[in-house]
Amino acid sequence: MHKIWAVIRREFVERVRQKLFWVMALLGPVFFGAIFLLPTLLMSKSGVKHIAVVDGTTTSLGAVATRKLDSTKVFQAVRVIAGPNVLDSLTARVDQKELDGFLIINDSLVLGKAEYRASNVSSFTAQATLENSLSTLVNRVRLEQEGVDPRVVDRAQVRLALETHKISGGKLTGENAAQSFSLAYFMGIILYMAILLYGINVMSSVLEEKTTRIVEVLVSSLKPFQLMLGKVIGVGAVSLFQFVIWGISGRLIFSQRSRLLSDDLQGTEQVFQIPHVTLATGGVFLAYFMGGFMLYSAMFAAVGAMSSNEQEARQAQQPVSMLLVLSFISMFAMLNDPGSTFAVTLSLVPFTAPIAMPVRWAAGSLPLSEVALSLAILFVSIIIVTWIASRIYRVGILMTGKRPNLKELVRWVRAA
Amino acid sequence: MSTPILIVDRVTKRFSGHTAVDGLSLTVPAGVIYGLLGPNGAGKSTTIRMIMNIYIPDGGTVRLFGDGAHGGDQSSRIGYLPEERGLYPKMRVLDVLLFLAEMKGMDRRAARAKALSWLDRLGLHDWRLRKVNELSKGMQQKVQFISTILHDPDLVVMDEAFSGLDPVNAQTLKDTLFDLRSRGKTILLSTHIMEQAEKICDHVAIIARGKKLVDGSMADIKRTHGGRHVLVGFDGASGDAARIFADRRLVAKHDGSAQYAELELAPDADAQEILKALIGSGARLSRFELAEPSLNKIFIDLVGPEAARAAAQPGSEVARA
Repeated sequence: MHKIWAVIRREFVERVRQKLFWVMALLGPVFFGAIFLLPTLLMSKSGVKHIAVVDGTTTSLGAVATRKLDSTKVFQAVRVIAGPNVLDSLTARVDQKELDGFLIINDSLVLGKAEYRASNVSSFTAQATLENSLSTLVNRVRLEQEGVDPRVVDRAQVRLALETHKISGGKLTGENAAQSFSLAYFMGIILYMAILLYGINVMSSVLEEKTTRIVEVLVSSLKPFQLMLGKVIGVGAVSLFQFVIWGISGRLIFSQRSRLLSDDLQGTEQVFQIPHVTLATGGVFLAYFMGGFMLYSAMFAAVGAMSSNEQEARQAQQPVSMLLVLSFISMFAMLNDPGSTFAVTLSLVPFTAPIAMPVRWAAGSLPLSEVALSLAILFVSIIIVTWIASRIYRVGILMTGKRPNLKELVRWVRAA
Repeated sequence: MSTPILIVDRVTKRFSGHTAVDGLSLTVPAGVIYGLLGPNGAGKSTTIRMIMNIYIPDGGTVRLFGDGAHGGDQSSRIGYLPEERGLYPKMRVLDVLLFLAEMKGMDRRAARAKALSWLDRLGLHDWRLRKVNELSKGMQQKVQFISTILHDPDLVVMDEAFSGLDPVNAQTLKDTLFDLRSRGKTILLSTHIMEQAEKICDHVAIIARGKKLVDGSMADIKRTHGGRHVLVGFDGASGDAARIFADRRLVAKHDGSAQYAELELAPDADAQEILKALIGSGARLSRFELAEPSLNKIFIDLVGPEAARAAAQPGSEVARA
């Protein structure tokens, strides 16, 4: 026991001493924040756009449209009467960046036609606001032309705000659809990255001891299984420590978000809502992380033991990584329909369950019996896989030369 | 002789179709420096790994410290230096030593004090907080040697003990080994450098192709395998030496160069006859000495044909390890 403890301690201390660990620890939350905030930031970055409305209408529609656009947060609009050379001079002003763009309307607006020319036409918010304002306007005009009372029109034009709430355990939760989605997405990414990263950490640790031949001294002092166990626990402890740091710094950033985000970005919180993580969700996440890590790191340890250099290991670990990649890719389909047979199957198969189950858990409510079944299968699989892996490990760490093929591996497992 | 500290009893190890060690028996008495000698591919490392409980023998037993246990169970009483050296390259020197001492069941605090004193003794004190890969090859060897004996083992097992050491470090190692022996420790070392073995070993076993050819104390082996030897040194002219050495009535075997020759006398031959014949043929001698044979000579006589066959075998020691 003293010896396993020494192995755990070495794995932990040597990793935490590395600069890379602290870079990850500090940059992790920034990186994850960026993944979520960047698209919203980029979209809303543009701020207020200055545009001109080239009015070629014979009615008051041009003036009304200008007022309506000007009243939005997105635009500051000025009305310009259509005439010769107007378009050319406006184009020149856009070119000199005095204007962001201009809208050209005439009587055919009522038929649903308008043109917007600008230096940047890919802004979603600008386009959506233009389309929204103009179509509301046109709707109203056309209904009025048909003799509908303007008050009726106003009343008819109620925008639907769909509120979504997740039901879990027969109770309404505070979460809405966006929050559930982002939580599931977030957990999927973290599980995938952490299991892969720390699994490969175990592999390179095994490989280091093998290539430096220090393993000979070690296995003459303790059992190979003890060595492997110590390694897996040690690296696992590093990953949990990493999560703790991420958790604390994530909380700090979250609590300071109003100071960190400039005023016009306050709205992004609405676009991407930050969910609150319940204790149960945290528990599911940790249980599946630890299970997944144990399962995969045992396999990665065996891969490290059967390879004799980095290159070989990189090749040999591909089938193992593919299992993880598969679970990760399937995540998107599962988010779409967390209750599908496909999703249920993946969350029961032990190799995909560590990512699939937490994702489903976060995306929609699940019967506890299903979670329990999946955990039980995972647990039994860990024992079986570790047993096989430790036999490969035992023979592999003392072998040099060519990598074994499948037949030889089977013999190792039997003979060890 | 005191009770043996290690008994290897008819041990056999096979690797996919070829037998690396074949019914080998060794008895290592306590308090000696024991040399396991053999050409490359003789099975030295495989034997040592079985003693260290890294390989499980296919047949036979290894008994350490008078009981039936293997090296793994007794690991705290054994220090092991494997053939291929290596340490954790990115760890600090002191941390590596502490970790390996813990692997031998040592307490961290006690290990620290001893490690510092050893580092001091071998001139590595200023390097204790450096990373291993910042050290020169020679310094790394010293660190690994410290790790082998830090826990004060009763039995030190060193595979290819002197490989890669410069003369200064080899001398340091030799002094330390003598020091260990004087404190009652036993040292088992393998080597194929006979000159080294001859200078430091009390006992030797010579093996080839997985089988023991001879073992015993150095003095016994020299006596029984010696025959009568004459060392001849020429001072310029060698006269008719070639013809005299080829005379089977006088010389059974000879080996040497233009300046020097080692002769094994034929049975019933008289060394004085050779001396007379040499001087009569006009040779000028700087040396004519009746001597014991060198270990190297015994080794080559014993394993010469075996070694040649082993070299032709594809399954060399490296490929098998």
